[in-house]
Amino acid sequence: MTTTYLEPHLTREEDGRPASPVPAPMEVTVRPGPALLAGIENGPSLAAHRRQYGQIPHLNGKELHALVKRMQVRGRGGAAFPFAIKLETILKGSRPILVVNLSEGELASAKDHALALTRPHLVLDGVVATAKALRTRKVHVVLPGERPGAAAAMRAAIAERSDGVNIYTSTASSRFVAGQARAVVELLSGRPNLPATTWAPEAIKGLNGRPTLLSNGETWARVGLLVLRGDEEYASIGTDEEPGATLLTMNMQGSVPIVAEAAYGDRLRDYIPHDRHGLPAMVGGFHGAWATWETLASAKVSVNKMRAMGNALGAGLVLSSPDCPVSLTTRTVEYLAGQSAGRCGPCFNGLPALATALTAVHDGHGGLERVEQLSNLVVRRGACAHPDGTVRLVNSMLSTFPAEVEAHAHGRCDLKAGSRELVGDSFTRILEVA
Amino acid sequence: MAQVLRVDWPSCEARGLCHEVLPELVDLDEWGYPIVKGPLTKELMDHAKEAVKVCPRLALRIVEGR
Repeated sequence: MTTTYLEPHLTREEDGRPASPVPAPMEVTVRPGPALLAGIENGPSLAAHRRQYGQIPHLNGKELHALVKRMQVRGRGGAAFPFAIKLETILKGSRPILVVNLSEGELASAKDHALALTRPHLVLDGVVATAKALRTRKVHVVLPGERPGAAAAMRAAIAERSDGVNIYTSTASSRFVAGQARAVVELLSGRPNLPATTWAPEAIKGLNGRPTLLSNGETWARVGLLVLRGDEEYASIGTDEEPGATLLTMNMQGSVPIVAEAAYGDRLRDYIPHDRHGLPAMVGGFHGAWATWETLASAKVSVNKMRAMGNALGAGLVLSSPDCPVSLTTRTVEYLAGQSAGRCGPCFNGLPALATALTAVHDGHGGLERVEQLSNLVVRRGACAHPDGTVRLVNSMLSTFPAEVEAHAHGRCDLKAGSRELVGDSFTRILEVA
Repeated sequence: MAQVLRVDWPSCEARGLCHEVLPELVDLDEWGYPIVKGPLTKELMDHAKEAVKVCPRLALRIVEGR
């Protein structure tokens, strides 16, 4: 179904799948930050790291649990699942396996990429401290397939250490869904790096059927920082409800992505580069939701508040678009359809059909009902949340840019790159001078 | 928690026997894959067990959940 359709604005990968509208970063700009990214100018070496943080203090499982619960450490892979709940499950089970997931399949995101380059030992301290607390020696680090620099930096950091913990590395395949938790467990099991049906959470039954504590790079780095610095310093920034900070990737097509660290409660707009003020953005990445500039300008960096607004922070990606949002969404859905693992019928049939329907809307041939019908048809009908995330993006485009969608339905688009004209009033394009 | 019929999507190949056995609960989409319409009721339990048994891909399970 996908192979017959080709749009001139799409570039194709060699395997015939549509390329990501935002390619894997060749370069990443990392700004110093208040927590994880403090002191990055001293380099990523173990010596510099120990000078800054000292040795890892020993904690038992109970103490670690109390700490992460009090500081409300959340999974930074996108779902913001409380780390303490995972740990609670792990503490009830037999000796676990720990997994650091640095695969970052969302190409426009670069936060774990940035951590591998600048803060590999904070990530490793988090997992090593946890391994010691849980009396396990088995740690897997999953490296990104499409970011060789980050993978090399992480390997170099692992080679510097001698913790009495066995750290095994593997490399994720270059597919959007490869970083999904169960897909990572599949990779470590020696099977294709693709999502599979989950009958029980990884923390209960993961790798080889054993309890598996799997979190992404930033989550482990937050655990590391907390263990090294204690809760008082950890909570010295952020808010009472949400202590600490979070990494953000500020991306825009054609620009080098910027990774910055925001304390919870900060204004989101203060982290968006000035040349992107006035532009709408996809918040939370390709599985996220569109936000108008007004929304972005009024948002506070917060898991809870942003989720309530309908713009969940996800893994912290803010993808600004100078291009027409209908056009970028269409290209993104084309890409996401091609990224389906091809394992679940509703996804591998439904997403290409959705992309085709969306293209028809984009090109002025109408058929919005078909888009809505297919969106309803694919959600919650797969081994992973890939169809659900894709539909979330489509729905957010429909609700955020009704005037632009309407214009496309009439064969118009006044927002092609370079054009500064507005359709309707659903977003403004005021370039602010700060 | 209610009992639900859950599909193991990577295993399912749209053979459609579940719909034959349990049309009250299972529709098929335009590609032939099952659409489970709601939670399992007591009256449908026997048919649901039958559907699990006849699935040639062993892609159905009855589980607790939503």
